[in-house]
Amino acid sequence: MNKLLNQILFAFILSLITNAALALDVQLLPDVKDGVVIAQIQDPERAVGYMVGDILTRHIIVTIKKPYKLIDESLPIVGYEKRYRGQVLGIDLSDIQHTSKDDGDKVIHELTLSYQVFTNKEVVKHGALPTEYLHLINLKSHGKEVVKYRIPSFEFAISPISLFGQVKVEEDMSTFRGPLLLDNSLEKKRLKTLLIVLVLSLLGLLYMLGKHAWLPRMGGPFARSYREIRKLPNTPQGIQQAVSSMHASLNTTAGNSLFSGNLEQFLVQNPAFNVIKTEMGQFFGLSRQVFFEPNSKHEVGNNPIQWLAQFCRRCRDCERGLVPDTLNTDAKA
Amino acid sequence: MSDRQLADWRQHALTLETEVNKVVVGQHNPIRLITTAIFARGHVLLEGDVGVGKTTLLRAFTRSIGGGYQRIEGTIDLMPNDLVYHTYLGEDGKPHVSAGPLLMSGENLSVFFFNEINRARPQVHSLLLRVMAERTLSAFNKEHVFPHMIVFADRNQVEKEETFEIPSAARDRFMMEIPILVPSDDAIMSGLMFDTRFHDVDALVDTIKKDVLQFDKLNAFSGVIQKSIEASETLKKYALNLWKSTRNPTEYGVKVTNVDMNRLVLAGASPRGMSMMLRAARVNAWLNERTAITPEDIHAVFHETVAHRLVFSPVYEMRRTEIAREMLSNILNAVAAP
Repeated sequence: MNKLLNQILFAFILSLITNAALALDVQLLPDVKDGVVIAQIQDPERAVGYMVGDILTRHIIVTIKKPYKLIDESLPIVGYEKRYRGQVLGIDLSDIQHTSKDDGDKVIHELTLSYQVFTNKEVVKHGALPTEYLHLINLKSHGKEVVKYRIPSFEFAISPISLFGQVKVEEDMSTFRGPLLLDNSLEKKRLKTLLIVLVLSLLGLLYMLGKHAWLPRMGGPFARSYREIRKLPNTPQGIQQAVSSMHASLNTTAGNSLFSGNLEQFLVQNPAFNVIKTEMGQFFGLSRQVFFEPNSKHEVGNNPIQWLAQFCRRCRDCERGLVPDTLNTDAKA
Repeated sequence: MSDRQLADWRQHALTLETEVNKVVVGQHNPIRLITTAIFARGHVLLEGDVGVGKTTLLRAFTRSIGGGYQRIEGTIDLMPNDLVYHTYLGEDGKPHVSAGPLLMSGENLSVFFFNEINRARPQVHSLLLRVMAERTLSAFNKEHVFPHMIVFADRNQVEKEETFEIPSAARDRFMMEIPILVPSDDAIMSGLMFDTRFHDVDALVDTIKKDVLQFDKLNAFSGVIQKSIEASETLKKYALNLWKSTRNPTEYGVKVTNVDMNRLVLAGASPRGMSMMLRAARVNAWLNERTAITPEDIHAVFHETVAHRLVFSPVYEMRRTEIAREMLSNILNAVAAP
């Protein structure tokens, strides 16, 4: 028992001696001369509203002119328990990032100190990121002079996790808290849905006003026929439908009913179609065979629907004022 | 057998056209239409100015067709009996009756040419109407039949004095009304003036090959044509729409310049008229070596078989030729096939 008490006493005395030694060490060191150290400190943006568990970060750039050199061991230690007037601060260094860069006659140190709040109260409490002392050594002095540079503390307020007692919202006009917000997620969702519907409706309207075309000249009669004919099968019904569609497009383009008898007049009025004059004649031959004279022969090969699709595409090109593609003769095979 | 028969007769028809084209120049389309009417067994009304060759044209056809040919001139004092008989005092001093132009050739009458038909009175038109429709005539207590007869008539629409408008019922009996215009080609016009062979019409007509066709077989062969040339469902629908559009042109969006379309048409084409149109279209298809009618065959005969059948409001009758032509052209432009 006595042995245990002796050990506890010894440890207590030792800790007092160590703290006193450290305190003495810091207090005894002289301050660095002006102009040797330039420090840029970036503190947290706000000084209020922190609660237990929050992390505050200071970013410090320290420029030390040579021959002074930072003693790395003097940098704050992670997890070291800070005290103020014997009281544990409750704010511990949780992380430190240190980089240095030699820049000729000076060395630039970048320190990022992250402190975590470990204290709390039912009312607002004062808190501070503690003062830190950096030790510098003058490498050119005879006695290896050691001096200190003080990084000032940062004062802030620690808020309670919950309000104590009854609070009138009208009187609680803190600008830091901002207004209480209603849940409008449903309205936002509706708004987005309606906006999508509106955009689709406008696109539909645009399509209709453009005579079923997204771009000028896309909605011509032959363009519509081409879309229709491409989907038709190579059956008698499909061919009939395709030829009818082509007739309708030709009639629309001509402004009257077009037959082989007035084809020349059509070509005079629509010279863009002159390049497909031969195919026009072949088309009327096919139409004659399909609709009027089954015994007659046509010249479009064994796959009329494929030929019609290609012919229609060429008509579409003529309609758009383009030079039509060469007719693929494979369609005749 | 039928195909060969059709081909042989087509060759005869083309020879007929070639022969007539030799003596009547610059009239290819009227000649094709008259050929069509002959094979469709339809009567023809020619319309044109004086001296454009209407009579020469018909005489040329008559010579090639063969059979009996009779002609009468339309005058204001012409009476129906003048077509049937005429009386005279014979050398014996007694009155005699002899057959008139209609009866003179008997059943072999193939062409009856009525010159300037609109100068004849309505009574004459009435008689002609029956003869054209039934090809029979009751006279001298006997029914006379003219199975091979085709009536060709001409009229001059420029002169209006001492003329009688042919009633619509009589017009409807004609299969076609064919306009004969002065050729527009300078070379042809010059030839008509300076080429001496055109000075003697009789001699000119005598140069035509005789009896290219057998007039007494035309009726039978016409039936062969009508049976052989087919009409598809699409074509039937197209023809039906054409017919309906002559009756109600506004429903098909047909317009005529400076004409109130709601008042224009009193009666469109008749069923007989449309039937005749299809008969003519079949012949046109046959002449063009087709086995079925196409819209082009209808177009080839549409104006000539339909225009004279339309009955317009009296206010538009004076302009009927130009109005009918524009209206029918617009109908062909408006009605689609298929």
